[in-house]
Amino acid sequence: MRLLLSFAAFALIAPLARGADLRVYPADVAIGGPNRAQQLLVVEEENGRVVRDLTAGAKYASSSDKVKVDATGIVTATGAGEAKITVTAGGKTATVAVRAEKPAEWNFRNHVIPTLTRAGCNAGACHGALAGKGGMKLSLRGFDPETDWFVLTRQALGRRADLNDPAESLTLKKATRTVPHGGGTRMVGDSVYYAVVHDWMKAGAPGPKADDATLERLDVFPPAILVDPKAAKGSFRTLVRAVYSDGTTEDVTRWARFGSSEELVARVSEEGVIVPAGHGEAAITIGFGTKVATLTVTAPYPNDVKAEVFAKSPRNNFVDEHVLRKLELLRVPPSDQCSDAEFVRRAYLDTCGIVPKPDEVEAFLKDADTKKRAKLVDKLLDHPAYIDYWAHKWSDLLLVSSRKLPQPAMWAFYRKLRQSVADNQPWDKFARDTLTANGSTLTNGAGNYFVLHKDVSELAEATSLTFLGTSIGCAKCHNHPLEKWTQDEYWAFANLFSRVGLKNGDRAGEVLIQSKSDGDALHLRRGIAMPPAPLDGKPLALDAPGDRRAYFADWLTAADNPYFAKAAVNRVWRNFMGRALVEAEDDLRETNPASNRELLDALAADFVKQKYDLKHTMRTVLNSAAYQRASTPLKENQADDRFYSRYLLRRLPGEVILDAYSDITGVPTPFDKINSAAGDASTPIVTYPVGTRAVQVPDSLTTSRFLDAFGRAERVQTCSCERTADASVTQALHLNNGHTLNDKLRDKSSAVGKWIATGLTDEQIVDRVFLLALSRKPTDAEKKKFLPILAESAKDGAQSRREGIEDFVWAVLTGREFLFNH
Amino acid sequence: MIRLDATRPATFCDGHSRRDFLHAGALAPLGLTLAGLNAARAADPKPDTDVNCIMLFLVGGPSQLDTWDPKPNAPAEVRGPFEPIKTNVTGTQVSEIFPKMAKHADKFSVVRSVYHTATAVHDTGHQMMQTGRLFSGGVEHPHVGCALGYLKGGRGELPAHVLLPKPIGRTGGNLPHGHTAGYLGKPHDPFILNADPNAPGFKVPDLLPPEYLSAIRAERRQKLRDAVDGATAAFEQSAAAKQLDDNFKLAFKLMSSAKARDAFALEKETNKSKDRYGRTRFGQCCLMARRLIEAGVRFVTVNMFETVFDEVTWDIHGSKPFTDIVQMSKEVAPNFDQAYTALLEDLSERGLLSNTMVVALGEFGRTPKVNPAGGRDHHPGAWSILMGGGPLKGGIVVGETDEHAFAPKTRPVTPGEVAATIYKGLGLDPHKELPGPQNRPIPLVDYAVKPIGELF
Repeated sequence: MRLLLSFAAFALIAPLARGADLRVYPADVAIGGPNRAQQLLVVEEENGRVVRDLTAGAKYASSSDKVKVDATGIVTATGAGEAKITVTAGGKTATVAVRAEKPAEWNFRNHVIPTLTRAGCNAGACHGALAGKGGMKLSLRGFDPETDWFVLTRQALGRRADLNDPAESLTLKKATRTVPHGGGTRMVGDSVYYAVVHDWMKAGAPGPKADDATLERLDVFPPAILVDPKAAKGSFRTLVRAVYSDGTTEDVTRWARFGSSEELVARVSEEGVIVPAGHGEAAITIGFGTKVATLTVTAPYPNDVKAEVFAKSPRNNFVDEHVLRKLELLRVPPSDQCSDAEFVRRAYLDTCGIVPKPDEVEAFLKDADTKKRAKLVDKLLDHPAYIDYWAHKWSDLLLVSSRKLPQPAMWAFYRKLRQSVADNQPWDKFARDTLTANGSTLTNGAGNYFVLHKDVSELAEATSLTFLGTSIGCAKCHNHPLEKWTQDEYWAFANLFSRVGLKNGDRAGEVLIQSKSDGDALHLRRGIAMPPAPLDGKPLALDAPGDRRAYFADWLTAADNPYFAKAAVNRVWRNFMGRALVEAEDDLRETNPASNRELLDALAADFVKQKYDLKHTMRTVLNSAAYQRASTPLKENQADDRFYSRYLLRRLPGEVILDAYSDITGVPTPFDKINSAAGDASTPIVTYPVGTRAVQVPDSLTTSRFLDAFGRAERVQTCSCERTADASVTQALHLNNGHTLNDKLRDKSSAVGKWIATGLTDEQIVDRVFLLALSRKPTDAEKKKFLPILAESAKDGAQSRREGIEDFVWAVLTGREFLFNH
Repeated sequence: MIRLDATRPATFCDGHSRRDFLHAGALAPLGLTLAGLNAARAADPKPDTDVNCIMLFLVGGPSQLDTWDPKPNAPAEVRGPFEPIKTNVTGTQVSEIFPKMAKHADKFSVVRSVYHTATAVHDTGHQMMQTGRLFSGGVEHPHVGCALGYLKGGRGELPAHVLLPKPIGRTGGNLPHGHTAGYLGKPHDPFILNADPNAPGFKVPDLLPPEYLSAIRAERRQKLRDAVDGATAAFEQSAAAKQLDDNFKLAFKLMSSAKARDAFALEKETNKSKDRYGRTRFGQCCLMARRLIEAGVRFVTVNMFETVFDEVTWDIHGSKPFTDIVQMSKEVAPNFDQAYTALLEDLSERGLLSNTMVVALGEFGRTPKVNPAGGRDHHPGAWSILMGGGPLKGGIVVGETDEHAFAPKTRPVTPGEVAATIYKGLGLDPHKELPGPQNRPIPLVDYAVKPIGELF
């Protein structure tokens, strides 16, 4: 019977594809005694990616009595020794060497805590809450084993751990709900989780020791998964192996936590079984203890795309090599290249935040030079509006505002940023200038960075977000729940910024920045100073002389810094491509991989090689065929919004829209009031002369109902999330009924009046407005719709005609084609 | 189980990221979503029976001794100039300056033991009473009504949370006052009226077209707008572009919706009805609050005053630019007495009080001892608030203060508990988690904080 069954299972597995390998993971197994087990993973692999999970149907045989392997591939050992396991599946055979070692006891730090974490006991909503739950407080996900051990074995009169009869322990009775438990049933009696806690208590409930082996890394198997879109839906098992500092390894799959970045592409169960659900790419994130790892599931779209589509697609530079490789893997065909008319409007808006003038459009369209797009890119990168646009952009990032800075200081800060943009200062120099600024904040505006972030934690977190594009804030109070950063690492990092001295200068609004020779940021929980260390960097001795900020800047701007260049190019990429390679643009972390890692790596490497020249990177992106694709989707790529098979539509920033309204109507926007920091008052100011553009206003407190509605960044918090591109009803109401656009159209000096005064016909006005706003001529079909409406309104006299034209201009300026870059 | 996440910035326990919510709620500045709208349309004409709330914010901080916690046996310098009077609830007394309230004491309960321990400036109290928390570490918590709007969305075309007439202005602390959606993001901010409904020729800014935009023009604009159809194929596939157009449709609907126009059309009230609430900014705001609730708005916040400077308010320091006790009793108290009782009575007559909570609260109490200027200063140690309507019991008194109304003697109540009570009254789990900054889950009120059980 048994033979028959296994034969039947064996027979179900189709033979391996030609060129595919049979692989068994892990390739070598070390197992520690009778209470341990190692699952084997048997897969069919092609080019380093698993295409089929054969574990369930494979046949296993062990060469030794001491090492057993069951029909599901679970290896156990009864004593020390070595064995060879032979695995047969799909007509091929593979072997695994197993080394069985002496049994080891369950360890509090490495087994009991992960068990409590897995069961959810120390989750934020349960005993891991700041105030605990039901009288028991554990550290959030076990970041403080010493205290947790005390809580479990010493508090509550020791009732939580009965060492003589562990089954009577309150912990286990509650967890199994043998007694009432607000948290419900967390474990069942015959599970490995129960056994770990039970046996640990039986062994005397030993506490965490200083010399416990520490977790060094996670090995995740398989390395990557490629789903065949045409094959029957299968599932893929994941194995997680912990590697400890003493060289031991352990199968921790049952303790690990799993998540999918894209549930619509692939789902993952609590047991780590991955089920493909759609098309695209998903990162399966795996966490255990303080370490995280990811596994990429690639699920190509079920398109039949000929290889020549990709082969023939234009490759303007290295960006295209990477983008097309990804598209080909995913079987997503790229859209065609955009027209010249589309390109000119798009490039002006993305590079300089302005709509091209009709004559500029015309000149570009007429130019017969085959290199004219590259020529335009060069022209735009040297355009004066480039400085406005990018100074504004970096002002968002660095929080330029009079919210916390007095006016003169805010202007000094803004001027410094603006100058740096005008000079195309290398990004590493800019970062170093900012982070090591000394002296008067009025003379050296960069020093205001430290006035904005006076608190050492705030300074450390803002610096990490600004220049490393990564958030470490969670680790201030507990180990980062989504990332590998521990609380110790956080405070070591924060201590780099603990020696910045601020004192008031003689002039109004002046602060003097200097580095101090003493002072430490103390670890929130442990109350000690950690030797200052960059993230994953070498620590500096606590008593090392010199400016710690300079040490940090050296690390930050070193060519091999793993985050700095990536963070910068990711921001640049997002500006032009509409979606960052790592989205959100300031959320770089192991568990949030780039949609195209090779591309991000290549852009970062190129950026470093070009000495952190931002314009160089912008030029590369702008000249790529990927940037110059049409925004019109193909049937086969309309589902893709992250692999750059087409130009992604995006709403223009509020400031750009407002400036365009001023330009097109010829009526400037007054910036004559300023909000109080608390937003509860608006007082007149005379700082900005008539004609100041919205992107030239450095202060986010400048009163503007329009910009508020269109989601300008408040510049309170370093976060790309401050600026919102969402469309809202408030915006629509404001455009319909509010003053901003209506006043510009009605104004005496409005272009509408001038067009009428110069005797333009309705048709000429329609043409003019289209060229000004949309950089194109109206189609005949559009004209057919507009002209009768305008003619109708003209019947009732001059005023009525003007209103009709105003309404027409309003319609163009509030339409999707105008508000979106496309 | 905690879920790790990748392309989304971080996940929240129920699998939604903040950005998902923002995306889903992008129509929400008015608490509107298309789904909500469609659902509301589908469900029409049967309106949902979720509890609503009107929060009357008594800016300045009413004196507990001179209002709803009189201490007739205290020494004269504590007792103050007013006598207590009986109400229609046996055993409950209020100050004589609220004669109308005395006739309606069965419709509300008094919580006499509210206190807070933060700095005694107005702004901290505004934060705590509107959001349940004191802001710290740069985290701005959402107003109770914004959290409600975030979780439930608006009914039909109407905003979920409307703030009348304006946000609280400067009150000295230069801190945020807690009237926004805070970390939930701007799309969830309340719809702010920004106008005085008691002013002649009152109009809601931006909601209705300006006078020069006739209905014909408004319609022409929509028609012209639809006629621009370049690059159609690219836009048809874009959710963001679609949302833009949907918003214009919704805005147009809101502008032209009889229901929405009606809700704000105070001119449709009779003179008698306007007089009933009192011809004051606060009185007319209370009247509008009733209209809004009737039309389907879930939460209305009414700020009784905009500031405490150069305005006669509850902030009775006694010296300029503040108010003294007598001024308060002659202007502020009657204004409140009339509007508040008219609101309770009107809601009750229209059958709305059973599913509409009305809470009236200030940011702190006043020092028991009258100061040399004949006023009372800031005192967050103890004060009284009024809660009733919806599922809340009326006619009871929760907590008591010591003989000088200096501190709670029994049943001390924190601002967090007040917020928890409102959340529970609204039918929400007070510990439901919201996605906070960096997606840190933040419960509506802290886990340890419970609603005031006596009121249910």
